[in-house]
Amino acid sequence: MSEARSDGLSAPRDMTHLARLLQFSDSTLPVGAFAFSNGLESALQTGVVTDPASLREFVELAVRQAARMDGVALLHASRAMRAGDYGAIRAADAALWSRRVGEEQQMMLARMGKKLAELALKISDFPMLERWLGDIRAGATPGCFPVGQAIALAHMGADEAETFVMHQYGVASMILSAAVRLMRIDHLDTQRILFTTQQRVQEDYEAVRDLSLDEMSVFAPVFDVLVAHHTTTHVRLFMN
Amino acid sequence: MAMTLHERLGRLDAAREVQGYQTQPRQMRAAAPGKVGELRLGFSLRDGRSVLHDLYRVAPLLVQQALYWDEAMPELPICPIISVGGGVLQGDRYRIDISVEAGACAQVTSQSANRIHQMDANYASQHQTVRVASGAYLEYLPDFTIPYKGSRFINETEVTVAEDATVLYGEMLMSGRKHHHEDERFGLDLLSMAVSVRRPGGRELFAEKLLIEKGDPTVNFAAVMRGFDAFASIMCLTPPDVAARIRERFGTLFPAEERRAIAGVSRLPNGAGLMLRVVGVESYDVRQEVRRFWRIVREEARGRTLPEEFLWR
Repeated sequence: MSEARSDGLSAPRDMTHLARLLQFSDSTLPVGAFAFSNGLESALQTGVVTDPASLREFVELAVRQAARMDGVALLHASRAMRAGDYGAIRAADAALWSRRVGEEQQMMLARMGKKLAELALKISDFPMLERWLGDIRAGATPGCFPVGQAIALAHMGADEAETFVMHQYGVASMILSAAVRLMRIDHLDTQRILFTTQQRVQEDYEAVRDLSLDEMSVFAPVFDVLVAHHTTTHVRLFMN
Repeated sequence: MAMTLHERLGRLDAAREVQGYQTQPRQMRAAAPGKVGELRLGFSLRDGRSVLHDLYRVAPLLVQQALYWDEAMPELPICPIISVGGGVLQGDRYRIDISVEAGACAQVTSQSANRIHQMDANYASQHQTVRVASGAYLEYLPDFTIPYKGSRFINETEVTVAEDATVLYGEMLMSGRKHHHEDERFGLDLLSMAVSVRRPGGRELFAEKLLIEKGDPTVNFAAVMRGFDAFASIMCLTPPDVAARIRERFGTLFPAEERRAIAGVSRLPNGAGLMLRVVGVESYDVRQEVRRFWRIVREEARGRTLPEEFLWR
């Protein structure tokens, strides 16, 4: 099981592997996800989301969107990591950043990316993350969270499908933990929504696995207005 | 810019989303003479005045001459693009190139809505380049695109903008011919609209691809377009200080009830400028918000205001 790999990535596919993937997908991983609602706060204030059914739809949209944007960059970064191609990691980072509209959406992407790199380096050795963090600090690369996730997880031997699943899970769980704090909903409802949403993951992976970075796409006009709305509201609990 | 027409349209022909639409029309074949419209517009300063110094056109795209009729900005040459074909048909291939040289200003509009007709073979494509040099100012706001049921349209726009130039460019879209038949609402087969923004040196600042494919279930999601049939994405590429002033003045519109339109402005990445997003019930609800933004952009970027809209628009 724990054969040595020639690419230098330590990856014994044993029980430790799964345990560490669980650690890095846990919503308590301190990368700052608790501070963001990914548009939910404005969706509630404007009545776009009102109840568990509309929340489920909002989360479905968010994971679909994340797959078609962040997920594409994540897969490219994950492959670049396995190929040892740091230039391609930087290209995925820049491509995702240049497609992110809205200062709060940008902040979520960059802050969580940097925090993940800092955290990982405090708990273990991740040479490529160290290089990436150095470039973030030098202003040479934006440091998008999904790219950091791809680097860290590839280091731990995760394949691209596992990496994608963890990313998509993180998008849904972040919004749902914000929901518990923002609306009248109980933990059973949010767990039900999470359980249902997870069904999408394979379909979303298959829809985006062959896309190039130029093919990242979006279509969610009301969501886009919500992103703008949140930056101009006075009463707010979350940073986006 | 060095790419030939063939290369540029060929890149769109190779796009993944049109691979399912490669059959030839029973009428004129795709990209046949008469189906490839070309337009090149070049504006520059001549003796202190902005003029249309370069014009090349191949039907069905047509521009006659620049007119100066904006009462609030009389120095602005205005060119409406006329499509003599009455709409975009299957197998049509368009290219439009607009350049505004240092210090010049220009406005390019379209004569009427861009109707993408129903298609039973092939698709239509359009490739645009927009280059705006140092200190220049361009307003390029085509009218609404109306994708008919069963239409397939792919558009790619490449913008190159100098750091101290200002460009107002965007797309306005209807969900279909909403008053014609209820099946028209997002009855399209394909709408793919990509835009990228670069500095003259080649650095990419911003890119976005809007993609709607046949039967997309999310179009009726509340966070997408439920209850609305029109939207606009209008970017203002402008230096950060101008962007900050525009941002300060444009109030978010999100009424608590009876929402005819909602609108807000967000920051683009890499200091590229701002993005206005508007969603509305009818085209005029959206147009009103676009004009509110447009007026502020003009006032902050050029110190000129926007005249009242003509009553017959």
